Amino acid sequence: MVEVSVDREAGAPRDYFDLFQLPAEFDLDPEDLSRRFKLLQKQFHPDRFAGKPPAEQRVAAQLSAELNAGFNTLRDEVKRAGFMLERQGIDLKSLEREPVEGDFLLQQIELREAASALLASEQEEANIKAVSALHDSAKGLYDEWLAAFRQAIVEDQVEVAGRAWVKLLYISKLRAELPPLVAAETS
Amino acid sequence: MVLMQIAEPGASENPAEGPRKVGLGIDLGTTNSLIAYFDGEGLSVLPDEKGAASLPSVVHYGQSEVIVGDAALAMAAEHSADTIASAKRFMGKGRAEVSDDGYLEFANEGLAFATTRGPVTPVEVSADILRALASRASLAGFEQLDGVVITVPAYFDDAQRQATRQAAELAGLPVLRLLNEPTAAAVAYGLDSADEGVVAVYDLGGGTFDISILRLERGVFEVLATGGDSGLGGDDFDRLLADHLLAESGLSDLTFGQRRNAIACARGVKELLSEQPSCTVSLDHIVAGAQEVTVERSTLNGLCSELINRSLDACRRCIADAGIEQVDRVVLVGGSTRMPLVREAVATLFGREPLTHIDPDQVVAMGAARQADLLVGNRGKDDLLLLDVIPLSLGVETYGGLVERLVHRNTTIPVVRAQEFTTARDGQTGLLVHVVQGERERVEDCRSLARFELSGIPPMVAGAARILVTFQVDADGLLEVSAKEESTGETTHVVVKPSFGLEDTTIAEMLRAGYENAGADMLARQLTEARVDAEQLITGIQAALDADGDLLDESERDELLVAVVALEAKVDGNDVEAIRAAVEHTGKVSELFAARRMDRSIQQALGGLSLETLEQEVGE
Repeated sequence: MVEVSVDREAGAPRDYFDLFQLPAEFDLDPEDLSRRFKLLQKQFHPDRFAGKPPAEQRVAAQLSAELNAGFNTLRDEVKRAGFMLERQGIDLKSLEREPVEGDFLLQQIELREAASALLASEQEEANIKAVSALHDSAKGLYDEWLAAFRQAIVEDQVEVAGRAWVKLLYISKLRAELPPLVAAETS
Repeated sequence: MVLMQIAEPGASENPAEGPRKVGLGIDLGTTNSLIAYFDGEGLSVLPDEKGAASLPSVVHYGQSEVIVGDAALAMAAEHSADTIASAKRFMGKGRAEVSDDGYLEFANEGLAFATTRGPVTPVEVSADILRALASRASLAGFEQLDGVVITVPAYFDDAQRQATRQAAELAGLPVLRLLNEPTAAAVAYGLDSADEGVVAVYDLGGGTFDISILRLERGVFEVLATGGDSGLGGDDFDRLLADHLLAESGLSDLTFGQRRNAIACARGVKELLSEQPSCTVSLDHIVAGAQEVTVERSTLNGLCSELINRSLDACRRCIADAGIEQVDRVVLVGGSTRMPLVREAVATLFGREPLTHIDPDQVVAMGAARQADLLVGNRGKDDLLLLDVIPLSLGVETYGGLVERLVHRNTTIPVVRAQEFTTARDGQTGLLVHVVQGERERVEDCRSLARFELSGIPPMVAGAARILVTFQVDADGLLEVSAKEESTGETTHVVVKPSFGLEDTTIAEMLRAGYENAGADMLARQLTEARVDAEQLITGIQAALDADGDLLDESERDELLVAVVALEAKVDGNDVEAIRAAVEHTGKVSELFAARRMDRSIQQALGGLSLETLEQEVGE
């Protein structure tokens, strides 16, 4: 079989902002989101429906799964950004396939090459510093594009926001693959 | 019974309820099994008639009788082939997946133990252990068992979980939930301590190792990550030590029985070495004339350190997966955590002394009992909620033998994920969906769970068909898969069954055989149960209509009422199947209503919170 589209939550697409009774804005308080999630799961988790009629159990299980999916999506910045685009009718999969500017790609390749050189080398003081510097530049890039996304979405410039989101995807992937930070303070 | 519970969170659901329902917790262990009860105040393990708390997970299949526990253990030496121990290691597995480690004899291609009574599967062995445990409930004076929670290693895959459910079904036990063992242990400790924070549970049992990291916050126990090794446990230490003892005693070429006895002897030595620095043992009782051997604790430590390090590696991965910086509490579970080397290693890794004040052999059963009590409907004052995760990723085979993962490991359950696929060839009318579990990229490196075919795809050019594959994992961690061709709506639906367990028909037959004498009673009971279900449903719908009838338009309400009237007619009859079918139908019709009522209660549940948040914002 051949995959054709980005995975998505099953059933009728749910507006997760609605689900948690939150305004559809990018900035949210993670603590507040977590509190809402837990409050709702305490009421609708299948554990609360053990011994109830099967139909009710099915509906509760579906809702509980949606709460899990919604919480997972909204608590992660990049996923939340992607979801905001989907809400505006953007197909994320085709967005991902659109070409990215050459200088951005070049920048990514350079960072990746630096990362793999460091991965192969010993954990000496100079390298530990270099790894830390690499994390810093990746974080800087991430913050930069996140700010771009935030501004574009506020200004309703969906296409600009979409292009920023694709950059965030690249950078997140890179950040996950960087050599791990070693606590340099211990020396 | 109401269709949707719209009570205030935390308010008593049903104050007019009758006597306390009985839900018991079962730790179905590799080496020992236990059954425990929570009375609303405290936890206790139900003993056998001699007062023993733990039941050795050993079953003897003799000519005339099946013996479980200590008595079976006593027969192990003389009748080794007919006495099955550690059956849990083989649950949900095929012949090719287990190494024949010298004391097992297999009956045939499938995985079954050869005994005098014929082949016995691991599921049947487990069912016999469960029956023996359940008999303790009547001994303790419980007339009716409303349900049990059975624990499984967090690392158990879908097939192993299904096999465990089958064993319970075979034993006639209503299963409320399969609960991960480390989660159960955390719940037992959570009772004693109202502390919020991050808890690591290190569980080294007889045959499996599990590590889980949980966060307790606002009455919700959330599993952040789980990991482990389903082939690592105290039994491995026993075997390594037995090999050492045999080599030192100058013994070789042992029979099955002799080797088993040597392993049992090694276990005794291992346990002694937790208490004292050295001990001397003779294998004279196994092979006459064997030399005495003295074993130091340091020798045992040397033998086991590689295995213990393997467990520590799994802990490090789990910490990384959980994305946490530090752990507030460490809980030890499993008899093997009595070994001083294990305790030291765990304390060093997590940087704090582990909690051990609940007996590590009983803590899992106790946590399960607490959860069983909650699930049968005895709502306590603290109302803890568990949010567990799926331990292994689930996916399907895609082009080129690669795995496309739909549900990633450590995703909170229940979960529903769907993904679209298409055909690879022009005119392709069928699609084989191959469901796998595991973390590797290639299909052959993952565990194959099921294969099914979706047929009836209209002939189209390659890539034009749209096939939606949906994975649904319930709160037990069990998977259901469906595939739907979106233009025709052709749907294939499968509940993943272990390829190596018992067929449904086999289970039904076995159950029937068990009830041979109780046939009429069975039928009467089924009829009563079906009627109770139906009446509950009707009362619930009526109450729901009274409260929230405005959520349905006229035609929707009529459809529901028609179903209810039809159901009422069936309840007056004696046809069990007809009542069940009508209950099922009415339930289905009521789903839309239930979903709308839940949406309304979301707003109610969060109403106060939104105001509170608003006030905070205004205050700033």
